[in-house]
Amino acid sequence: MGTTRMDRRLFLKATGATAGAAASIQVGCLSYFKKGRSATADRREVPTTCELCPNKCSAIAVVEGGLVKKLNPNPENPKSRDMLCARGNAAIKQVYDPDRIKQPMIRVGARGEGKWKPVSWDEAFDFAAKKLAEVKEKHGPQASLWSSTEGFQEVFFKNLGLAFGSPNIVRHPTLCLASVNLAYSMTFGTVPSFDLLNSRYVIMSGANRFESIITPDTMDLIGGVMERKAKLIYLDPRFTVTAAKADEWYPIKPGTDLAFILAMIHVIIKENRHSKDFIAAYTTGFDLLAEHVKSYTPEWAEKETEIPAKDIIRIAREFSDAAPRSLYYAGRRSSWYQNDFQMRRAQAILNAIVGNWDQVGGMVPNAKLPKGEFLFMPWDEPKAPRVDEIDKHFPLAAKGDGVYLKLRENVLSGKPYPVKAWMVYKQDPMNAMPDQAKTLKMIEGMDFIGVIDVAMSDMAWYADVVFPESAYLERTDPVEVMAGIWPAVVYRQQVVKPIHDTKPNLEIVQGLAKRLGLSDYFDYTIEQWVDAEFKELPIPMAAEHMKKHGVWAASGQPSYGKTLTPDHRFVTKTGKIEIFSERLKEAGHDPLPVYASPEQPPADRFRLILGRVGYFTHANHSNNVWLHEFMKENDLWINPKSAAKLGILNGAIVDVTSSVGSVKLKARVTEEIRPDCVFMLHGFGKKSKMQSLVYNVGASDAVILETAWDKVSGNAAFHETFVKVTNA
Amino acid sequence: MSNTVKLLVLIAALTLPLAAEGGSDTKGKFFFKKTCKSCHAPGGSAKEVTPLSKTQAQWKAYFAAGKHKKGAEKLDSVLKPEQVKDVQTFLVNHASDSPQPETCGG
Repeated sequence: MGTTRMDRRLFLKATGATAGAAASIQVGCLSYFKKGRSATADRREVPTTCELCPNKCSAIAVVEGGLVKKLNPNPENPKSRDMLCARGNAAIKQVYDPDRIKQPMIRVGARGEGKWKPVSWDEAFDFAAKKLAEVKEKHGPQASLWSSTEGFQEVFFKNLGLAFGSPNIVRHPTLCLASVNLAYSMTFGTVPSFDLLNSRYVIMSGANRFESIITPDTMDLIGGVMERKAKLIYLDPRFTVTAAKADEWYPIKPGTDLAFILAMIHVIIKENRHSKDFIAAYTTGFDLLAEHVKSYTPEWAEKETEIPAKDIIRIAREFSDAAPRSLYYAGRRSSWYQNDFQMRRAQAILNAIVGNWDQVGGMVPNAKLPKGEFLFMPWDEPKAPRVDEIDKHFPLAAKGDGVYLKLRENVLSGKPYPVKAWMVYKQDPMNAMPDQAKTLKMIEGMDFIGVIDVAMSDMAWYADVVFPESAYLERTDPVEVMAGIWPAVVYRQQVVKPIHDTKPNLEIVQGLAKRLGLSDYFDYTIEQWVDAEFKELPIPMAAEHMKKHGVWAASGQPSYGKTLTPDHRFVTKTGKIEIFSERLKEAGHDPLPVYASPEQPPADRFRLILGRVGYFTHANHSNNVWLHEFMKENDLWINPKSAAKLGILNGAIVDVTSSVGSVKLKARVTEEIRPDCVFMLHGFGKKSKMQSLVYNVGASDAVILETAWDKVSGNAAFHETFVKVTNA
Repeated sequence: MSNTVKLLVLIAALTLPLAAEGGSDTKGKFFFKKTCKSCHAPGGSAKEVTPLSKTQAQWKAYFAAGKHKKGAEKLDSVLKPEQVKDVQTFLVNHASDSPQPETCGG
């Protein structure tokens, strides 16, 4: 055997002890491998694409003796910035995780009891198909729900649901970034990227980018800020790692970011600092905006936000002075409040009026690259309407994604019609949705639940049948175009054969389709699918290139200003950037963002705020043995003044109680949070005993979060819960 | 009114907007890619066409006229009549002024 080795100690050393030290990650790993690499007869390097978060960085897997020994960054993908983060490195332990689902299983005890019977694939398929057919026979195909999250093989799962005849495909965006996507789509007709590498002035509202998700654009931002190219203004009720690295941190009163943005717009227009030529050429509705923001003065905003008016004025001036290389950054974070769509709209409008569209250091429409498409036999459209009544309640939202929380309300009420079967792919609604008790009630009401996943998530734990999916390193997936400032076509190819009795999602879908009489719609192999995609890549010997390199990134150089031509039509109703939106008005929403003060917690309660940490992706990977080393448990941040009033000491166990549930957590008494808030991290307190490192460790925020959503997009609003905190 | 009838009425009412063009978006995409894109693609024998090539009103007008090759032939000589409705539905639904918010993945 060769000397290449990656054990836990080395991993921790190589990836750095904190996410804040992520800049050193790639250097550590690369230098190790430069020294440690040695030739062995069976050593292979296989380019592929990481799956552990939505960024999809290009990676090179080092295989020895049939085992994945190491994952290296692939320098050929400019978007990956030649890095692979801690999660990316730890994907090895997704494959060699002793807790993995190793073969199909059918539940034999009560749901959630954890009693399983290992079965063959035929038995699992027969069982699920029989149950799905029974529900279809009794209630119609619309009585089945198909839940999934993003992933290269998600398309097959969604297609199975549609071919089955169900309109009820529900995806993750309304538990994630639907409010951002809708707000920018309504304004620009697209969701742009943010050129953090070249921006000189960045404002972030609660998007904790230095800590919550470490992706290549985090590195762009870290580079920008650390080298003092960019000024970072950060608004967050909590002193995060991003706050520590920012030039200015404002512990803004929760839920008032919209007031801050409207006041910035007020100052910029009042002082004639807007980009007049750009506004005249590319936008519509500016005059209405100017009138609309007259009352939103900095002095008014100070009372709402607790940010001094003089600072709002100065920031507005600095922001417009730095334009077009200034940004009000939109992501990555979910929706916190019920006005989140309008807050995002205000951000988009602020960006538009300083003319940072399609400019170096500004917002850049995503460039795409061509690829082919496999044409499969189309099915008849599902006949029933969606159970979430999206057309009635959220007419502007993305129909193909659905609206998760409204959907759950309707399923629980049985109206407009009953839903009795729930298929889930790669998602954990038990932790992703607020109010876990409601999700459990929804589970109780199902005649059948089937889950496809690599690991035994909490959702899988409550299923009737579990189909183990092969890990990404064990399978080949469809080719994807990663659109962006640095667009790339990426390919995920099998690195090692599955080590357990698992299958790629396509084969699981085909196994079910065969028994449901839907085989004609899935009559292809992954190789045929991928070959069709390779065929239209405009490079010689595309298939060979992609298999050898794993990525094609055209020139690798960004281009700016392609949409800044007189004949360019934005994909909006007017063809312009819509500052004022007729479409919003027609749908009964405010056509320009209107502010309303958020409800404040009563004296004996706190606003619960949430966050993520870059070691994990949402509720996933906290059970990964290498990542678990970084963080073993979550706790409750509480301000010393608040803690003193309640007699709570640092490290004490406290009950955190909302109107829907209660959890126990260790108190972290810290000045790094406002006295009116408490904070907990997402992703702990698992119910699945096959998440053994985090089973019943810490707590799941889903237990105490109340159901609330943004009015326009339907996006779950995660910071609208007030909790009591008492010594346990 | 019985619950079953109420449900059917509700389904009919809610389905109406989806079927405004009377065709299938899924099938329309298939026929558009299979038939139209065989010529109307980059490097193809005819000018590239995508749903974004026209506004919703322009697509509706195009299909109302029913002409292909600048009027040289009828559209239903290229696509079967039932396919024309599907392709129209797909193109109108994804036209350059259509409300089609972007999403994550998927």
